[in-house]
Amino acid sequence: MTRVKICGLMEEQHVKAASQADAIGFVFAPSKRRVSIERAQELSRLANNDMQRIGVFVNASYEEIENAVKTVPLTMVQLHGDEPDELIQRIEVPVIQAFSIRTPDDVEKLNNSIADYILVDAPGTDYRGGSGHVFDWSLLENVNLDHSRLILAGGLDRDNVQAAISQTTPFMVDVSSGVETDGRKDEAKIQQFILQAKGDSMERTKEKTIDPVGFFGRYGGQFVPETLMKAVKELEAAYKDAKNDAEFQKEYHHYLKEYVGREQPLTFAARMTEAWGGPKIYLKREDLNHTGAHKVNNAIGQALLAQRMGKRKIVAETGAGQHGVATATICALFDLDCVVFMGEEDIKRQQLNVFRMKLLGARVESVSKGSGTLKDAVNEALRYWVTNVEDTHYLIGSALGPHPFPTMVRDFQSVIGKETKRQILDKEGRLPDAIVACVGGGSNAIGMFHPFVDDEKVRLIGAEAAGEGVDTERHAATLTKGSEGVLHGAMMKLLQDDAGQVQEAHSISAGLDYPGIGPEHAHLADSGRVTYQAITDDEALASVIEMSRLEGIIPALESAHAIAEAKKQAQSMTADELLVICVSGRGDKDMATYAEKMEGLS
Amino acid sequence: MKRLAELKQAGHKAFVAYIMAGDGGIEKLGEQIRHLQERGVTAIEVGIPFSDPVADGPTIEAAGNRALSEGITLEKVLDEMQRFDFEVKVPLIIMTYLNPVIRFGAERFTQEAKKAGASGVIIPDLPFEHRQLIEPFAKQQELVLIQLVTLTTIDSRLEEILKQAEGFVYAVTVTGITGSRDELAEEVGAFTRKVRELSPVPVYAGFGISKESHVEMLRDDVDGFIVGSAIVQAFHEGRIEDVEPLIDAVTAPHSV
Ligand SMILES: Cc1ncc(COP(=O)(O)O)c(C=O)c1O
Repeated sequence: MTRVKICGLMEEQHVKAASQADAIGFVFAPSKRRVSIERAQELSRLANNDMQRIGVFVNASYEEIENAVKTVPLTMVQLHGDEPDELIQRIEVPVIQAFSIRTPDDVEKLNNSIADYILVDAPGTDYRGGSGHVFDWSLLENVNLDHSRLILAGGLDRDNVQAAISQTTPFMVDVSSGVETDGRKDEAKIQQFILQAKGDSMERTKEKTIDPVGFFGRYGGQFVPETLMKAVKELEAAYKDAKNDAEFQKEYHHYLKEYVGREQPLTFAARMTEAWGGPKIYLKREDLNHTGAHKVNNAIGQALLAQRMGKRKIVAETGAGQHGVATATICALFDLDCVVFMGEEDIKRQQLNVFRMKLLGARVESVSKGSGTLKDAVNEALRYWVTNVEDTHYLIGSALGPHPFPTMVRDFQSVIGKETKRQILDKEGRLPDAIVACVGGGSNAIGMFHPFVDDEKVRLIGAEAAGEGVDTERHAATLTKGSEGVLHGAMMKLLQDDAGQVQEAHSISAGLDYPGIGPEHAHLADSGRVTYQAITDDEALASVIEMSRLEGIIPALESAHAIAEAKKQAQSMTADELLVICVSGRGDKDMATYAEKMEGLS
Repeated sequence: MKRLAELKQAGHKAFVAYIMAGDGGIEKLGEQIRHLQERGVTAIEVGIPFSDPVADGPTIEAAGNRALSEGITLEKVLDEMQRFDFEVKVPLIIMTYLNPVIRFGAERFTQEAKKAGASGVIIPDLPFEHRQLIEPFAKQQELVLIQLVTLTTIDSRLEEILKQAEGFVYAVTVTGITGSRDELAEEVGAFTRKVRELSPVPVYAGFGISKESHVEMLRDDVDGFIVGSAIVQAFHEGRIEDVEPLIDAVTAPHSV
């Protein structure tokens, strides 16, 4: 797929508008778009980690170029002057050499360039480095040219870029004046240009925030024992294939509709809206899914994928038991073998779900190691997978684990956010001002947030578990208190001690009782796109009562964390604003806890 | 580690012992190393305890938990190694999961490991793809980053890994986690033969090796054996002499 470079950036908002591009360019040569190295460095910080940062130079010295490469830092250098080959050779990062094309003879010169990429442009008029004039693309046809080195520039805009791409199939298109209005970059034009250049493959381009080994910024990766590498790679390939297969998607959506009962309503919560006295509150009703939570969206997707890979044995971990139940359910539906690892402590507090899994024909293995909760269940599930990897699929229940799990689980859960977006536009004609979801490993939250991440005006808030308080030893507030580390196959944020030992998490809610957080959340937290707040056990319990009585919906303990956080957000919002809460699950499974904690409730 | 290549050239088999550092207290570490080198082992893997050792079976996990409850950390182990008051005559290899290393700092880890007299590092959850996190620092300190290959490693990947291999190659002989086994799968022999043909460095078989019958089965297809759970458990139960026949079975000159 053709990459997109937005060149000549000078202002913050334009760098952000280019976030879906593959490269941004800073002009260091004399030009009305010239920026200093310091300015480029500031702007560069706003771009995604995997964005190519390209510096444009005309006859600069090696030292000058080198200094910019180190300082900004630049990932590529683009040369528009008469730079000698020795200079090109000395530059450590990949080099793009620019050529002006007037005649077929000029095309010949391209092949002699020793640079990694060649950029073709219409001849400049006022200064070197692009005039914005269109050159005749047909000059590039029928000549012997390596198009995988070709970068097309000169007079491109949102209206002609598709034609230019199909005519020349370049490695990258480069635009500057074509996304400007009155000599200044225009955010809307930048975004439209990218959209046009990438066509309807936009969905897939979001994947570019992931490099081949699956990182979100610095988080993610495949940190698993060698025995699992083959399975992880096979899964990566199989998922890539399935994702782009219309049949697979059709089947997945068929089960979501006919079996899970989607789509789920976006319910206007009239009494909560009134009681909180702030924004209009909408509830995304994942509690209405068959099996009682969002977990089933992912379980169906992965179970279909497992069968596609010829695997008929499933291992899963579960915390609250919701994922275990969803997995056991789907395994019954598809006649798959099912083993679920569950912490001893969780088995005690989620007995109803344990029985449900058994009734559905799954084998439930109790894990007594460690704190006997979710982390320990994941450890055992991983060990089981290592031992049975040839015929078993690990159906992980949250946006965790080695690549491709975090991406795949997010994609299967994105149905939550996609529906919500459609529904709120239907009902209100606009996007919400804020969305709140609870985060354990992070799957319901990432599924809700992902379709909104590029809608910068929508505030996204994750609610994690503060347990007995983030200043006590008993909490699961990974993003509030955690630090970078590797657990369960991914670089993420973790609760750990100074020696790198992972600590036990605590939350009244079994589904949030995990000392890590999915890598994409860790990245979204760092970038500031999503804010994360911690909610205590007591606050969550209070919200259970409040929502039950105001709306007649008894939420799961996990979801109650989102409700409690939403209530806080509502305090500072106004009546003309919209607030969406992801109600990730219903409270049936938590009835024993509720009964115990709310004894004497009247 | 050159010694390992020489050993191979001389036609001798290597015996690599794995111990859990600090199981029974940090003062046991020196004692155990001393004992093992006197008993003629070729090299020693010094295991660092970790809270979530997903590549390990119950024996090593339990040993790790005992060490953790003694307050053992990566730092304490490296400090203790720097204080040894006896001559370490065999290569020492640090075996640790990645997270303690990241927390400690990869560069600092390799510097301290070097000072502690280590020759190499094994990180079971650091796959070949991500070795850049550690390898550049290890190289600076002339520590080798030992790679693992397994029964599930596909051929093209095996070649890639072996091309870069240094020190020795750790051939994992079970599809699973560490721990003693009664039997090894039939396919293991063919696997280790394949690895050995391609490998520029000695190939040692590990995971599940606990009996003389395992050694007999693979003797001609590997350059050495790595024994973990059996040694860890023997030290824990104060009967290390029980493992001695196994050491002898590997290291004794063998008539063909
Ligand atoms: C109802 C419900 N919500 C939320 C979660 C937390 O998981 P995640 O953060 O992956 O959505 C769980 C986990 O068990 C759950 O059951």
